[in-house]
Amino acid sequence: MTERNACIVGGGMCKWGVREASYIDMVQEAAKECLDDIPGLKPKDIDGLLFASAFVGRRSVQANTAPVVAERLGLKPTSICARVDVLCASGSTGILLATGLVESGMSDIVMVVGGEKLYTPERWQVQYDEIAAIDHDWDSPQGIGPPPIWFALTAKEHMKYYGTRREQFGTVSIINYDYGFSNLKGHFQRQLTMDDVLNAAEIAAPLNLYDCCPLSDGSATVIIASEEKAKELSDRPPVYILGGAQTSLHSVTANWPGDHLGDWPHLRLAAEKAYERAKIDSKEVDVAQVHDCFSISEIIELEELGFCPKGEGGPFVESGQTKIGGSIPANTDGGLISCGHPFGATGIRQAMEILKQLQGRATNQIEDAAVGLTHNLSGVNVEHTIVIYSREPRK
Amino acid sequence: MAVSGIPFLEGRYSPTFDLWPIEAKEFNRIHTFYENLREGKFTTTKCKQCGRESYPPRVICPECYSDELQWIELPKKGKVKAVVEKLGGVPICFEPPLIDAWIDLGEGSPVRHVLSRVINCPPESLKEGDEVQLVVFEVPSHPIEIRRETIMAERVFFAFEPAKK
Ligand SMILES: [Zn+2]
Repeated sequence: MTERNACIVGGGMCKWGVREASYIDMVQEAAKECLDDIPGLKPKDIDGLLFASAFVGRRSVQANTAPVVAERLGLKPTSICARVDVLCASGSTGILLATGLVESGMSDIVMVVGGEKLYTPERWQVQYDEIAAIDHDWDSPQGIGPPPIWFALTAKEHMKYYGTRREQFGTVSIINYDYGFSNLKGHFQRQLTMDDVLNAAEIAAPLNLYDCCPLSDGSATVIIASEEKAKELSDRPPVYILGGAQTSLHSVTANWPGDHLGDWPHLRLAAEKAYERAKIDSKEVDVAQVHDCFSISEIIELEELGFCPKGEGGPFVESGQTKIGGSIPANTDGGLISCGHPFGATGIRQAMEILKQLQGRATNQIEDAAVGLTHNLSGVNVEHTIVIYSREPRK
Repeated sequence: MAVSGIPFLEGRYSPTFDLWPIEAKEFNRIHTFYENLREGKFTTTKCKQCGRESYPPRVICPECYSDELQWIELPKKGKVKAVVEKLGGVPICFEPPLIDAWIDLGEGSPVRHVLSRVINCPPESLKEGDEVQLVVFEVPSHPIEIRRETIMAERVFFAFEPAKK
């Protein structure tokens, strides 16, 4: 079978935050924004649907969600119609699956929609339901369903083994809030000082409020299509999906694969596989969206993705390397920390930002960005997912 | 869980909605783990074919897929490697302080580390290097319908506590 190239054609998202809307309302808003971004595309042209959502089954009491979404969006899928759950990486997983379907010739035009309604009528349930987000029988009873405790332990270990300082991961929050200030679709539009970060309410020391991304309601949509269809549908420069990787080496925290909690071998493995598949190396990436669920996460991800040496993520961020003009601008739309985190939609938001960067139409535009990368971790760091995008097809 | 205003649910408790495992033998083939916990033993499974020790306990060996497994004991004492305390804003169904530690069970243990709550421990007292020991406690029981009879399934779970000096 000859393999075709898959491209990301366009995308859209609804306003994220605490929304007065159901998941299926937000999915419609995001799909409209997406098709508004691709004026030539009509719902009837779309032959595949992947709906990325982790919690719709629990918080919106809806299993077999894909037909519901297809119907409300006026789609009549003939190649695939399914829901994808990899928690925080559900959206990126949908994009990887759509890429495979398009490259194999099974699908031509796939809509990947992610969405979550996390804010339930009573607020206690919002955090409580997180007991379903981790290995339920072994880790939920230890109180780490809401993940800050796990990432606070991770921060402590990174500080101990590499000398990372509190202010260094605080810098991540300041930079990402700066990027997110102009993103009106994100959960927050504000700027922070180091004093704000250090004096904010303690969530789980050493992590304070602004070191943690919020949970958000929201939805985002992209279209993945064959190169041929992409060129028919849009006059903008094509953006190719070069490939990616997804690794899972454990689930229960007791089976953590690293030497300590600041050592993430499963992400190193995902990076190695993704770069190999995309035929690039980390130096060729011009802009990255990395999973800043917590400020400390971004620091470790920059290391394990090969953007700076292991252990030097703190000084790397502190020296401004993730800002515009730095060696790897990261989370240029605000990241999870500022945009928020409706799990299934996050990877799709990241893909939209990379698409805009590579087409020269991002708000915080990186000059001549040609290769972009997205990364997600899932749950309490049990899975890593990478997608690599480029203005040129795979070599 | 009393739910007011929804008469059908009044006084009913939904164990599939809570954070504890459903441990009863009618629903769980590793119920022996919980029965051993009741006797103060922290256990897991070992493969009789290839010798692989794995945690958490399973029904098959993850190495060779044999289903001939035996129960072995895990260390009940460990050393704190890192600790995080939440003094306020703890998740619902926990009481502050919520103290979690990454615990080193020592070389030779089938599983080197576990993440566990540390209970019976004053706030801001636990530190790296401290010795902790297994502690078992009861958690809410729930009804199980067996044919026409309803029985109450009792449950236990484990955490760690500061080791007695
Ligand atoms: Zn075996």
